[in-house]
Amino acid sequence: MKRRDFLKSSGLASTALFVPSFVQAYGATGVIPSHKKIVILQLSGGNDGLNTLVPYTNDIYFKNRNTIARNKKDVLVINDSHGFHESLTDFKSLYDAGFVSVINNVGYPNPSRSHFRSTDIWHTASGAGEYLKTGWVGRYLEEVVKKPLGAIEVDDTLSLLMKGHSINGLATKDASLFYKTTKDAYFGKIIDKYTATHLSEHNLGYLYKTVVDAKSSAAQIYEKTKVYSSSQEYPNNAFGKQLKTISEFINSGLETQVYYASLGGFDTHANQLNSQKRLLEVYSKGIAAFVKDLKRTGAFKDTIILTFSEFGRRLKQNAAKGTDHGAANMVFLLGEKLKHPGMYNKPDNLANLDSNGDLIYEVDFRNIYASLIKEWLKTEPRSILSGKFKALGLV
Amino acid sequence: MSLTTKDSILKSTHIQHLYQRAGFGISPKKLEKLSGLKKKEVVKKLFKSSKSITHLYMSTPDIDAFMKADTPKSDPKKFRELIKVSRSKLKDYNLAWVDKMSTSNEELRERMTLFWANHFVVRTNNIVFSQRYNATLRKYALGNFRDFVIAIAKEPAMLSYLNNQQNRKGKPNENFARELMELFTLGIGSYTEKDIKESARAFTGWGHTFKGEFVLRKKQHDFGEKEFFGVKGNFSGEDIIDLILKRPECAQFIAKKIYLHFVNDIPNEGRIGELAIVFRENYSIDEVMRYLFMTNWFYEEDVIGQKIKSPIDLLVQLKRTIPFSFKKPKEFIYIQKLLGQVLLEPPNVAGWAEGKSWIDSNTMMVRLKLPSVLFMNGTIAFDVKGEFEDSYEKFNKKSNFNRRLTVTKNWEVFHKNYGHLNYEELYHHLISTTTNKGTQEFLQSLKKTNKQEFCVQLMSLPEYQLC
Repeated sequence: MKRRDFLKSSGLASTALFVPSFVQAYGATGVIPSHKKIVILQLSGGNDGLNTLVPYTNDIYFKNRNTIARNKKDVLVINDSHGFHESLTDFKSLYDAGFVSVINNVGYPNPSRSHFRSTDIWHTASGAGEYLKTGWVGRYLEEVVKKPLGAIEVDDTLSLLMKGHSINGLATKDASLFYKTTKDAYFGKIIDKYTATHLSEHNLGYLYKTVVDAKSSAAQIYEKTKVYSSSQEYPNNAFGKQLKTISEFINSGLETQVYYASLGGFDTHANQLNSQKRLLEVYSKGIAAFVKDLKRTGAFKDTIILTFSEFGRRLKQNAAKGTDHGAANMVFLLGEKLKHPGMYNKPDNLANLDSNGDLIYEVDFRNIYASLIKEWLKTEPRSILSGKFKALGLV
Repeated sequence: MSLTTKDSILKSTHIQHLYQRAGFGISPKKLEKLSGLKKKEVVKKLFKSSKSITHLYMSTPDIDAFMKADTPKSDPKKFRELIKVSRSKLKDYNLAWVDKMSTSNEELRERMTLFWANHFVVRTNNIVFSQRYNATLRKYALGNFRDFVIAIAKEPAMLSYLNNQQNRKGKPNENFARELMELFTLGIGSYTEKDIKESARAFTGWGHTFKGEFVLRKKQHDFGEKEFFGVKGNFSGEDIIDLILKRPECAQFIAKKIYLHFVNDIPNEGRIGELAIVFRENYSIDEVMRYLFMTNWFYEEDVIGQKIKSPIDLLVQLKRTIPFSFKKPKEFIYIQKLLGQVLLEPPNVAGWAEGKSWIDSNTMMVRLKLPSVLFMNGTIAFDVKGEFEDSYEKFNKKSNFNRRLTVTKNWEVFHKNYGHLNYEELYHHLISTTTNKGTQEFLQSLKKTNKQEFCVQLMSLPEYQLC
């Protein structure tokens, strides 16, 4: 019998629920989470992969994109067929240094072209016809970390990705503001009056527990991070601030393992060239500063950054100089010791499209999750993912 | 255990409980009026006031005119413009719906409409379709479930949301057929993949015109023989729905959903079974709800004050106690977003998960802070994610920390309705669950010199989140 199973069956794990979480230590659950970090970044709205990694010699590409195609002279060439978008200069330096894996044609069967639905699918790690109520990170919290502080979304509302059945991650983009909110006088007084009997009541207990957790987590984040401030310069935009916050959380030694942030605006149905140019620059500059910051403290070797978009965009451009919702797209993995730096697999096959004229997936995104869960978080993927997904040997 | 028969007098706390679940709470005045009546009389009155149907209608003259005379192709520019108009009208419609729930006397009908909106889930950007859909939900809210399912299946909002517009003979799209069984009638596991394939064929050609009228496109409809649940026949869509409703799993599935929503998050198979038997008889929603509210177990201790209010419940109840409104509709939508439920914008076809999933650290803090933000001019220190639009600049600029909302509240109504209650009575009126001793002591320690303040303090308790 594993120690964790023993604790579960002996009832110790359940009594731990009745102890306020500020006195709970890792020991209560018997699992010591690894110190590895995962930072998940979503390019929200559906980034156009075909103009991110441009097949600059492909006739089909030029034929379908008469006004928005990028030529060889526009792109940052990486080989004789492909080049990164011109805005990705800093990102390409990371790529050249071997810190980036590009996994091409990532998706899932029967892809949804709805932002909401497809985001849910990526967040819950479900199939297209499956409606899961919890995110895969939420399930990791529930299975392994056992407390909200294990995952932070750098935003003010919590995404499905971070939700479990009875344990959810936290959302905050400002540790001191989060702390101040929980310190609100009235809020504080309610907590002071909470007693263990509250916790024994079904839903009321859950509400009080959530309040207590919020307060203690906010205090822990605040205490840990208040003395640390990053000297690294970040681009002065919302995404830069989010990344800076994550680096401060990581570099100050906060135990949180999974971070999530999103960069919105990629839904480029009209006049795509300008908006994508600006957005990819925000992404590239932000991520370069972030990696530099983590490298300085040595935290980069323990961090993997996953970048995805809920779907790619259609090969054929539309009349408004933009592109519509598509299907398969690329995923970027960043880290110091990747197993497949560079191109993990061959990019886009534009000759073989689905009935909508979209790229067909070749790598199921859940296999990437399985890799991260197994190879990085040292956890059995089956306990987190529904269904069996093989790890790909990525990290 | 509190045994009540249909002829026994319904206790005040039980009337309150009934109105919490079947409506959106009860005013002191109405409670007084119903006090002393027998259970069957109270329940009868509840249904009587919801016999009428008052639809929620908002005029959209520009869009109506375009849908009547044009098509997206005939004037694409105007069409794109009107999509924007439609989106903004949907925000107004959201507010109007919350208003309706906060003021209507057809409380049960409103509650059922909201319930079914999270059962037959759709999402549409078309305000005309959205209004039509809302009207159908309200019309059948207490009606016959078979008629309801058929009406829903023919709604333009549903036909387009679940891709039935693309469901054609020879090239079936199974989306609607699958969700019809998985989410609307039977639940997962009560049918095979083959049943989905075959039933999808029966719905081929079911579509709607640009104007929003249902059409059966005969050329696209598969009139051939299908084999569904092991029975062969040239089934139409209606036939399929009838065959589904013959299965005992259907009544069981809906009974369970009703139980979880109206009674308790923790299923009780015996009680669900009772409801299923009643429901299966005529598939009358009215009958099963009447039965439910007449049971003894609906009024037991393990039911009262045990459910977590949905964000919309919470907002409607706040509004019923102290009417409030926003100068900028966006702000109210933003509050809904922070709480995790924007009306008309369900996350997916499965709807909101309800229960505990409403609650995380962030939504909980917003809930506890909300009454002071709304009624005491507090600020709210949160920001929400950008929408899926080409709006990066807007998204970036919007750092609205500590924004103060432009809320107008009507304390006079509060004083008129609640002013005669003493502090103790006010407490019992607003809090349904038993309060912990520690919290009681805390409440006693508060200076009770101002009823407005005390009311806001009560509304800021974790206990207020339950109903």
